[in-house]
Amino acid sequence: MKKLILSAFAGLALSSMAMADYPNKDIQGIIQWGAGGSTDTVMRSVAPHAEKVLGADIILTNRPGGVGAIATKFVNAKKADGYTLLMGAENPQMYKVLGLADIDYSDMIPINVMARGIPMLVAQNDAPFNTMQEMIDYIKANPGTVKVGSTGQGGLASIVMAMIESEVDLDVTTVPYNGDGPALTALQGGAIDVMPAVLGAAVQHIKAGRMKAITLVDNQQNAVLPEVAPITETLPSLEKYLPYGPFFGVFVKQGTPDDAVAKLTEAFATGAEAEDFKALMETRGYGIMNLSGQPAVDFLDNYRSVSSWLVHDAGFAKHSPEEFNIPRP
Amino acid sequence: MEALNYFALSWLSPELLALTALGTFLGIYVGAIPGLSVTMAVSILISFTFSWDVNNALCLMVGIFMGGVYGGSRTAILLNIPGAPSAIATALDGYPLAKKGLAGEAIGLSTVMSVIGGFVGIIVLALAAPTISEFAITFQPRDYLLLAILGLTLVGSLSSGSLAKGLFAGALGVLVGTVGLDPLTAEERFTFGVIELWDGINVIAAMIGLFGVSEALHQLHHLDKAIIKQKITRIIPPWADIRKYFPLSLQSSFIGVIIGALPGTGGDIAALMAYDQAKRSTKKPDVPFGHGAKEGLIAPEAANNAAVGGAFIPMLTLGIPGDAVTAVFIGALFIHGLNPGPLLLVEQPHMFWFTVGNLTLANIFVLIFGLTGIRIFSKLVECPKGVMIPLIMLLSVVGAYAINNSVIDIWWMLAFGILGYFMRLYNYPVGPVILGVILSKLMDENWRRAILSERGDMGQFFANLFSSPLSCVLFAAIVLALFTQTPLWTKTLKPRLFR
Amino acid sequence: MSSQTTRYPGERLFSFLLVVFSIFLLWRAYLISGFSDLSSPGAVPMGASAMMVISACIAFTQTLKQPPVEGGRFFYHCLPMVVGFMMAMVIIYAVLLEQLGFIIASLLFLFITLRTLSQRSALWSLGLAVISLAIIYIIFRLIFQIVLPEGVVPEREILAVVSRLWEDA
Repeated sequence: MKKLILSAFAGLALSSMAMADYPNKDIQGIIQWGAGGSTDTVMRSVAPHAEKVLGADIILTNRPGGVGAIATKFVNAKKADGYTLLMGAENPQMYKVLGLADIDYSDMIPINVMARGIPMLVAQNDAPFNTMQEMIDYIKANPGTVKVGSTGQGGLASIVMAMIESEVDLDVTTVPYNGDGPALTALQGGAIDVMPAVLGAAVQHIKAGRMKAITLVDNQQNAVLPEVAPITETLPSLEKYLPYGPFFGVFVKQGTPDDAVAKLTEAFATGAEAEDFKALMETRGYGIMNLSGQPAVDFLDNYRSVSSWLVHDAGFAKHSPEEFNIPRP
Repeated sequence: MEALNYFALSWLSPELLALTALGTFLGIYVGAIPGLSVTMAVSILISFTFSWDVNNALCLMVGIFMGGVYGGSRTAILLNIPGAPSAIATALDGYPLAKKGLAGEAIGLSTVMSVIGGFVGIIVLALAAPTISEFAITFQPRDYLLLAILGLTLVGSLSSGSLAKGLFAGALGVLVGTVGLDPLTAEERFTFGVIELWDGINVIAAMIGLFGVSEALHQLHHLDKAIIKQKITRIIPPWADIRKYFPLSLQSSFIGVIIGALPGTGGDIAALMAYDQAKRSTKKPDVPFGHGAKEGLIAPEAANNAAVGGAFIPMLTLGIPGDAVTAVFIGALFIHGLNPGPLLLVEQPHMFWFTVGNLTLANIFVLIFGLTGIRIFSKLVECPKGVMIPLIMLLSVVGAYAINNSVIDIWWMLAFGILGYFMRLYNYPVGPVILGVILSKLMDENWRRAILSERGDMGQFFANLFSSPLSCVLFAAIVLALFTQTPLWTKTLKPRLFR
Repeated sequence: MSSQTTRYPGERLFSFLLVVFSIFLLWRAYLISGFSDLSSPGAVPMGASAMMVISACIAFTQTLKQPPVEGGRFFYHCLPMVVGFMMAMVIIYAVLLEQLGFIIASLLFLFITLRTLSQRSALWSLGLAVISLAIIYIIFRLIFQIVLPEGVVPEREILAVVSRLWEDA
């Protein structure tokens, strides 16, 4: 309620100054990750479509660092006038429990949550298992010998493993990598055996026969890899966490005037609808979401609950999700 | 025959030809200006060329890549500010040449050697891409660790005076490289609770400070000294020189192409390794290394341009980026509706020869643009110091800011500038610091990965090391590198063996 | 091993400060994860800082043995006025960069340093400062779209007005 009143005030104060014709100058888009990353690619391909609707340029600036926290804090330090956008990925939803920052997306206004990645497990071709059940059996029979890649605690791979280990005890050797790209390369070179990664990053390698798909960490099959079974077939109790997956979205600071939010929402919804953007997302194996308003907030909240509690239960959270009133999924 | 058609695609279309030329030209300047990187330029081009035909966009980007890697040598030679980390080794001997009035000759030589390196990279890409990429991905964490240690033995070559001072500088560099959130566990290291330090200290900021700013501050000692007249009669290196150094440039190019093809390493490490190798294998340089040895200029320049072709090897065959720039290329191909992955060459067979043709064309433009305009650039060094130094300072500040759009990088640049000033004053070498920063992550991450893969069992680690032929070769190279730095070798054996 | 036989004024102090700095870093590295594990995040930082402590101590003891350079004065040979001036100017510039914005801060910095170092006329210095600033602004801000600190100058508004005039014309 307090936030609402505040934002109404801020909106009033700002709308008196020529806000009617938003935007009247260039907009700065702050990208949370570096040049060439998947967030960067997604944002640079949606922005030209949004620019057309807005009738203003969006100057895209990469401000990488602190798992995205630097960009998030930067945008929150700017005026809430709709001229500074945060273009980010899922990471801020974990800041609070990991103790990285005291803000997350619940403290901002989502303009559009554009797409979601589908997590999956892949294995190197020589691995002596082909399905989820075979993998579980093999690991139980040979504790400690299977090397599983990871992208650090709190990364997607660690959450997927925490999800699975909340149901079955697995003794694996975890080898951390600096991102899923390097880990998938190491998988092909035989340095690790199994890697939890997003479908988009692995799909081309699977189709070329350079690695094999074990399971999709989702509650349904996917048209891109129709022969791969979802994890719920082996572990039905994971249903409560799904659908889950890293996402890309555009956000503005709390308190941004309504007309600016409306205009931006319209612009990015149009961008997410564009044929070439949809085609790009499909080839990269991301599911189009194009969520704004309340549905976007709901999705973000669910993501936060699932990740925060899994991380907490797996024992590497610095703070309990309860401290931030994050409900259990 | 079909291959030839695709190869010549960009040669025969006036539009593609012009775009490649434009890209190469722009690339040289992007590469030369510290703080502007090829990665940055190529990602800006992604939005810029969004609605273009994919071939046009690729021509421009390939041009920028080729030109940019070459361009880094310009400012390294003229101002001692390497335009990019891959030009650090170039500054070590290129700048002393400029101080002797030989800037024109140094740029000419570096251009020709870059082009030779570029061609070697392209030829290897064209002939052996699948074999090399399969080899490159078999590098295990322990092999990367050995590679990083091999690189660190360079500290010995880079410290001219006291070895203790060199070791200090190298260790400082390694430590600086570990600052920030540990990429493997997200543990904070030396961050003192400051969020801006999470991402560590940027290597380019440290580089601009240690090389450019500290040198500019030193030049203030000689404000009243007469300006060095540049000899610009000879720009294109004589044929005899090219022939004499050809074996060295080939050797450096092969180092460049392999290191470039490894997914975890790029042109910066390639150039430093080639420099070290040149220093080791050159029997009697006319001028000692570090004081303007031509060999010290040739090796890194050939290697870093050969690494361009190398970086495309895993990218085109497997969809695995060979370095940061090819990672952006992969993004660009996605945006243009292609699937850069192991199936790219099956789905788009023309892509391979088209890229090879493009790279060749861009390499020829590097030769053309590189050898023109040298006179004007050499004049830059003749500019009075009172004018040059303020401008270098401004460019350093803007360049440091531009890396990540962050004021923090300016502060680091200045801190390293002042530290570097005193280090130079008291004969601490600054080269090993940058070497340490560049190799730090490679060493730290792969050391821990290697140990974790064996569940902390050191016996198993060594057993695997000696049972893998690749690891054995790398281990032997380290032993050899250390041995050739001992007095037993330099004072006793080397003079006898190479009389 | 060392080819250097004499030391400069301040070298002993500098080497000593490096020893202190290295010990501080070794302590901070120990705090990361202690002696817990060879693969812990603190392992390499501890190794590197231990190496720094050892080599800094050796370098420091070397300076103890060396006789000073004859007639060396710290503020003449090591930190002359002009170097101190330049260090101060560039630090002030970096502080003002965010407050005043890129354009004003850079113009002031260039004008003052050019005027002092080149000892040309004020008009000449100002002219050169404006021209070089314009070139840098065009390359970085307009071509590479790097948004330099705006400070007190409403740059984006001005650029929007200019580009609108451009479109109308």
